Amino acid sequence: MTLLDILLSGQLLFSALLLGSLYALVALGLNLVYGTMRLLNVAHGDFVMVGAYAAYGLLTLLGWSPLWAAGLVAVICALAGLCIYELLFRSLLSAQSSVTRIESNSLLLFFGLSVIVQNTMALSVTATPRGYQYLDEIYRLGGVAMTGNRLAALVVALVACGAVGLFLRFNVFGLALRAVIERPDAARVVGVNIELVHRVSFCIGFATAGIAGVLVSMMQEFSPFIGFPFTISAFIVVILGGLGNIFGGFIAAFLLGALETYGVALTSPNLSSVLLYGVFVMALVLFPQGLVAHRATR
Amino acid sequence: MRTYVGNWVYAAALAASLAVMGSVQAKEPPVRIGFSMAQTGMLAQATPSQLNTYMLWKDVVNARGGLDIGGGKRRPIEFVHYDDQSRPDEAVRIYEKLITDDKVDLLLAPWGTPFHIAVAPVLEKYKFPMVGNTAASVAVRRMKPGYIWFTTSAIPDKIGPALTAMATSNGVKSVAVINNVLPYTKELKTFLMPALKAAHVEVKVDEEYPPDIKDMTSLLTRIVQAKPDAVLALAYPSDSVLYAKQARELNVQAGFQFVAIGPSDVPFRKAIGDAANGIVTIGHWVPTRPEWKGAKEFYDRYVKRYHVEPDFLNSDLAWMSCQILEQAVAKVGLDKAKIRDTIAHDTFDTINGKVKFDGVQNIITPTAFLQIQHGKLQLVWPKSIATSQFEPKKGW
Amino acid sequence: MTPVAKEIVPWIVLSLAAATLPSIGGDYIVGVGMVLLMWLALTQSWAILSSMTGYVSIGHVVFYGLGSYVVVVSWQSLPLAVAIIAAGLVSALFALAVGMPVLRVRGPYFVILTFGLAELVKFAIIALEARMGIASRLIFGAPSIQFIYYAMLLLAAAATLMHIVVHRSRFGHALRSLRENEVAAESVGIPVARYKLYAYVLSAVIPGMVGGVMGLRSTYFEVTQAFDPTISLTIVVMAVIGGGDGVYGPLFGVVFLTVLSEVLWTRAPQLYMVILGLLLILFMLKCPEGLIGRYTTWAAAREGKQR
Repeated sequence: MTLLDILLSGQLLFSALLLGSLYALVALGLNLVYGTMRLLNVAHGDFVMVGAYAAYGLLTLLGWSPLWAAGLVAVICALAGLCIYELLFRSLLSAQSSVTRIESNSLLLFFGLSVIVQNTMALSVTATPRGYQYLDEIYRLGGVAMTGNRLAALVVALVACGAVGLFLRFNVFGLALRAVIERPDAARVVGVNIELVHRVSFCIGFATAGIAGVLVSMMQEFSPFIGFPFTISAFIVVILGGLGNIFGGFIAAFLLGALETYGVALTSPNLSSVLLYGVFVMALVLFPQGLVAHRATR
Repeated sequence: MRTYVGNWVYAAALAASLAVMGSVQAKEPPVRIGFSMAQTGMLAQATPSQLNTYMLWKDVVNARGGLDIGGGKRRPIEFVHYDDQSRPDEAVRIYEKLITDDKVDLLLAPWGTPFHIAVAPVLEKYKFPMVGNTAASVAVRRMKPGYIWFTTSAIPDKIGPALTAMATSNGVKSVAVINNVLPYTKELKTFLMPALKAAHVEVKVDEEYPPDIKDMTSLLTRIVQAKPDAVLALAYPSDSVLYAKQARELNVQAGFQFVAIGPSDVPFRKAIGDAANGIVTIGHWVPTRPEWKGAKEFYDRYVKRYHVEPDFLNSDLAWMSCQILEQAVAKVGLDKAKIRDTIAHDTFDTINGKVKFDGVQNIITPTAFLQIQHGKLQLVWPKSIATSQFEPKKGW
Repeated sequence: MTPVAKEIVPWIVLSLAAATLPSIGGDYIVGVGMVLLMWLALTQSWAILSSMTGYVSIGHVVFYGLGSYVVVVSWQSLPLAVAIIAAGLVSALFALAVGMPVLRVRGPYFVILTFGLAELVKFAIIALEARMGIASRLIFGAPSIQFIYYAMLLLAAAATLMHIVVHRSRFGHALRSLRENEVAAESVGIPVARYKLYAYVLSAVIPGMVGGVMGLRSTYFEVTQAFDPTISLTIVVMAVIGGGDGVYGPLFGVVFLTVLSEVLWTRAPQLYMVILGLLLILFMLKCPEGLIGRYTTWAAAREGKQR
């Protein structure tokens, strides 16, 4: 394929958009949780895995279509997030120790959580990989072949991200959330209910992870230990876009998707991971606060 | 009245204790068999088929009264097993523990080539024989024959020429080869390329990809444009599904389509469905060959207990190794030196036919391939053990 | 006894005790001891960077993996001792090369960057091996477990000694001050960038050698195993569990987690990971300042009461 072929390929564009939107959705939750609470959730990808299994379970046991199940899965994950917040983090956050202490302690808490989630799943449903076929028809539009489930995943991911984005932009509570991300002390002064914001962040964070899991389950095989690579990708996106910078996160996600798709096409696939992490390291070294500068409002 | 009741109580107690003593005497101490299995970590998804097979074997043997020890008593089997967390160095520690601390009587193999190779020196050091199964690498030949043997015939330097032979005999003149850079598939490639060259097959696409690849669109687009007669995807289970789904989306057309590892196990067919028909893969066993005693029985038992088919490659290999161990112990008892000699020299009957080792390698089972036809796996190469004819893949 | 001696003597006693293990214990116990010493060496080295400067690294496995690769590649061509020292040197040189730009990044960005760096090196080596056509590397004739044990003991002692020396020196004092406030430290004349780099390089040497020695432990070398991120995370877990600000934190953290893992792993082989996760969480909720931190508070309170 010539360079022009690659750049103009609709097929590659579709793949890049799909990957990017998925990353955007997964990273969104991580970004919200970090932005509002400075917590690094290393268990985030494991809830993507939980979402995948939930969709599979609802499909095989109740015959529910994954797209409708996504709603229920989101609710379940949001509730799980709430419980985890109440049980584990409320006490941690109110014990006003240093920020670094909270960060490293939360790292450990989430790490413990990750271990528990992965291994409980492995014990209860065995580690055999699962997969199913859903929306399998292939649609061809102008030379681009799109499997139904991949197209659906793209649409759902974009809609979910859009919904949360609009919420943050135009809804009063969303505004409060952004205020907590930018200046938590000032937000408290103007009367924002910080605890409520924390809870909502957790809920949205885990809910989006669950929805992403449902989408993933439509497209690929999954097993109890697939979570970690998603966590890593989410971290890369969040860091590149700037921590707590939701809009930056979206841009970085599509950048990552493009890099992984076009990078493979332009260089050899073997170098794709080298390229990816190389860009990541270079970007951080050159822009230590993330690629998309987050200008704090006055 | 009291005495009357008392007598009955006394009699009942006596009877009960006699029964208990009797059963204790009839019960032999168990034979403890140790192994490690990756139950957590990145490889955990590949091991259930092997672990299930071990558990099934234990129950089947125990239902018969236990393991036959040197033609004398039968003793029930008890497993001592640990999770090696997908780390070969953990497996090393586990086998050291099994031998020196738990002092097990026999050993079964872990899953996967790196694990077999990692524990081989431990077996060597303690002179403890173990029949390997799910390991295939030319590196195994560099192991000093001694305390480990490999039942599989899927060794890369045999697969390369065999696959080429099968492809060319079905009219293939050009191929596209893509491979995962992990050890087994990389080794496969090393032996496949010279074989293809020697057979004058044109290699139109030759690409490698990393194990964590997320999107194969550009690879597959290149293949579609090249229009080869055959596509050889040297893939591992995790990327085999990704490959198949994307190949379907992009409509990769070729009569001969090969996916190295994955299709022999059920999850692949469950994830891909009917589109999997026609895919060729590595494997040398089916339950339906009449001359392989016990094959159908094993298949039926496995399905009955686990409600899925066994992995035609890994479960078969695991069961073979168990059978070999069982037969060796039945012949010479639990003496390790004697077990070693028996395994090294005798010919064994397994559900995959006869097995004999020359050095570390099984020299009877041929290098073979399976094809998915109408949702079922059939042996299609070599002709000597084939259960069906190769059918070109007609689209996805 | 001088303060220095007071600090070093317990460690000398411990080392001597540890040295007797191979003569009294079987291979399995020696294996456990070796693993404990390995983690101690890694965690003490890590602490020199992350505890002292506050720059938390969750990608320390990069040095371990590099060291492993050096020894495995030079197996049979270099004498073992030379190879192990080379492993440490290569790690240190790598740290030197990337240190300056990498340490400019702060806070959580640095944390994730260290992770990304480890992955970058891992994939670079995978691509390199693939390009060279090497599928796997086998090590035959590796040294005995007793040898590896003693090597690990030496490395653990060296790492602890390094930590003690840095901790007591003016250099260490400067590191602690830049941890508290980097800008202020710079304004009083501490060459912050240079000192951070020294800490980074120092923290890389021993893990390189540890990786080199451990590469011999399993006959089969695989890049993904040598650069396993779980190694990095385990170091952090052990350090945080130990807590405190000195040389004892890592020791207690390492012993605690190793003993816990061993006990669980043998008693509850299936559930052990789940129970481990639960215990980690409980620990963080009840004892977030770490074992040493909790001890320090308790000791100080006791002293206060006695007055």
